[in-house]
Amino acid sequence: MRTRILTILAYTGAALTLVVAVCVPFVLMGAFSNAVAHAGLHIDAAYSGGTVARTIDRGRYTIVVYQPVEPRLLERIEPFVQIVFEPAESLPAHVSDEIDLDGDGRPDVRVSFNVPADANAPLRGDVTALNATYISLTNVAGESFSRMVVRAGKQIVVRIPLHEGPARR
Amino acid sequence: MASRSSALARPPAFRGVGRSILLTLPMALWSLLMFTPSFQHASGDHYIGAAAVILFMTGLFFLMMRTGETYRWRRIFFVALGFLFPVGFIAALVAERGTMSIPISRMVSGDTPFCFMVTPSIILPAAFARTVIFPGSILPTASNPHSIAIMIGLWFALTLVMGKAWCSYACFFGGIEEGFAALPKRRRLHRFITRFGAQLRLIPWAILVFVVLVSAAIFEPVYCMWLCPFKAVTEFPAVRNVETAIQMVVFIALFVGLVVVLPYLTKKRTQCGFFCPFGAFQSLFNKINLFEIRINREKCVDCGLCQTSCPTVALSKDSIREGKTLLNCMKCGACVDACKKDAAVWHLKGTPVAAKPERARLLFLYGTWALATMFGGSVLANGVHTLIGFLPLK
Amino acid sequence: MLGLATGPVCLATCGPVVVPWMLVQPQGLRGHSRQLFLFLAARLAGYLVFACAVWLVGSAIPHALPQAWTGRSWLMGAVQVLLAGALVVYAAGWSHRRCVVAKTTGNLVQIGEAPVVKRSGALALGFLTGINLCPPFLVAGVRAAQLAHLSAALWFFFCFFAGTAVWFFPFLSLGFLKRTPAIVTVARMVAVLLACWYGFSGISILIERTFHG
Repeated sequence: MRTRILTILAYTGAALTLVVAVCVPFVLMGAFSNAVAHAGLHIDAAYSGGTVARTIDRGRYTIVVYQPVEPRLLERIEPFVQIVFEPAESLPAHVSDEIDLDGDGRPDVRVSFNVPADANAPLRGDVTALNATYISLTNVAGESFSRMVVRAGKQIVVRIPLHEGPARR
Repeated sequence: MASRSSALARPPAFRGVGRSILLTLPMALWSLLMFTPSFQHASGDHYIGAAAVILFMTGLFFLMMRTGETYRWRRIFFVALGFLFPVGFIAALVAERGTMSIPISRMVSGDTPFCFMVTPSIILPAAFARTVIFPGSILPTASNPHSIAIMIGLWFALTLVMGKAWCSYACFFGGIEEGFAALPKRRRLHRFITRFGAQLRLIPWAILVFVVLVSAAIFEPVYCMWLCPFKAVTEFPAVRNVETAIQMVVFIALFVGLVVVLPYLTKKRTQCGFFCPFGAFQSLFNKINLFEIRINREKCVDCGLCQTSCPTVALSKDSIREGKTLLNCMKCGACVDACKKDAAVWHLKGTPVAAKPERARLLFLYGTWALATMFGGSVLANGVHTLIGFLPLK
Repeated sequence: MLGLATGPVCLATCGPVVVPWMLVQPQGLRGHSRQLFLFLAARLAGYLVFACAVWLVGSAIPHALPQAWTGRSWLMGAVQVLLAGALVVYAAGWSHRRCVVAKTTGNLVQIGEAPVVKRSGALALGFLTGINLCPPFLVAGVRAAQLAHLSAALWFFFCFFAGTAVWFFPFLSLGFLKRTPAIVTVARMVAVLLACWYGFSGISILIERTFHG
């Protein structure tokens, strides 16, 4: 009797597996993808740059300032702050901006770079720290996740490292 | 000891043509349904690619029905998948960015396509910090359709049906080494693998635990950044310092060693069986999958052919004695086809062993092959379309 | 409070070392409790040694602290290399004199006989993870260096240790996990992989410091 019940259950399960297989391309794949999309996940700030703190309007273009990103647990990145210049097409041939990153009304860094007409041309820039919190960068491109001046689509992404340890604390 | 080719030789007509065609008909209709959208493409190349895949997948299924063999025909599909995936993928990368390497700018803009192999690495940070440690995007974008949500949804849906059979019917990486293992050459290192097989098959579990723990600690996809052999034939972080240069060397060494040289020498899938942490992770789904391979002890003569034929050492003398395969069995069918006494059989959990092995095989193959056609077929079609593009026809 | 708040970081630092080590130990809550106690005791010893060191540096030459801070990489590199060595020696079964690699009769093979419980293993790993300079540890170090008395610095680190130690108790649940030879073998392999990781990381830090100061 037990064997018979188990056999019936087994074939029912196998039939259900077939139904599931048929449903995969039409329903299930999308349903599972939606579930992941709505799980409240976000990309690690080392890649995404973190959350936006505020935007600075410069007329032709906008500067988006992000919250400083600290390494999580034992993450092997320097703490940094990301700023984004957008849209890249509206930027002048040479950008040199003094930017207030912490919102205290005083500029914290000077960022300067040339914007090549060709979107695929290499981009390099300089960052001059105007106070001890930030680290200056010279002729930087995409050296690391904490030090970069790169073109990403329609944006110029700049990441400025922050001092670690007692100097900042 | 008989070679695998002779072991695989069976009477060609396991089933009559008419019955085989009847059994293949549902799969033919399914293939048409899956590739109908491709026929709406304006490009003739897409039309040829889709038509070729429909014929290919349906033809192989027919041969499975006709001959009663699984492994040989599955292997043809799987090797094609393994070699056509890089063709389509690399061609698309080169056309888009001119190189296989991922510049850091694309990582920060979330344009890295998500690979299912990263899944175990991201579980702990996602569960405890709701953070995905991968430079992709959660939702699909115009520049990155292979988003994390889409790829995980696809993987999970397929895994529900296939379980560990993912590794022999869907993983395009496994096809590459199966191809090298299939090249004619006398089997080498057989004694070594027999002697240390038990330890070797535990290595993927160790790498899985290591990758999960360290990825959670340093918030980096450790497997992806340091250990993935397939970076050598897909995409890899652009070399920008000593560390990324070392990573590149590791990728190439692992690919050459585990995917090319060792499979060629041993006739085993050495990367899948002795290295891949995703394969170990996928083995866990064997517990919830209804289909398995069993050894009928009443027929078994302990000749060891099944053990020798298994590409991932998923059978041991003890397990054969118990009439079971090990947890890492990926249901490729090699042992069933190799067994001359019909002792290795397809089995549906809950039913008596060897009661209706062919029915279990059919039920398994319908679900699995249908999804292999949907997922692998689209990869094949893309590869064929890319290859046609290379031909000087126009 | 600092210890409690930064516990997850300590867990991330020590977890990869503790998990394989505990899995190598025989099943049972009692044995695991003893091993965890030894590990934590050695870790406390590491903390107190560090507390003394930073307090002495901080009180004797206050201006030297920022420079000493930048030089921490040397210590970090060296500790990681030592940790790699300790992992290989103790967790991966350095002593194979009584090794009985079972013949491949089983689907699961045990490397070495029933694991030998070694106190020195837990002590060495605990001490080395104790002086491994993880971020919260460094924050605690700065505060300890600024305190007026050595006893206050030691007390501060003791409290910090107590706060972080709470996070380690879930590891005791590993004691209930069924021990099969396969799990023990996998745990040892993980330890070897971690040793490679720490070794590589430590040597990289040392090389970088040598060439870039």
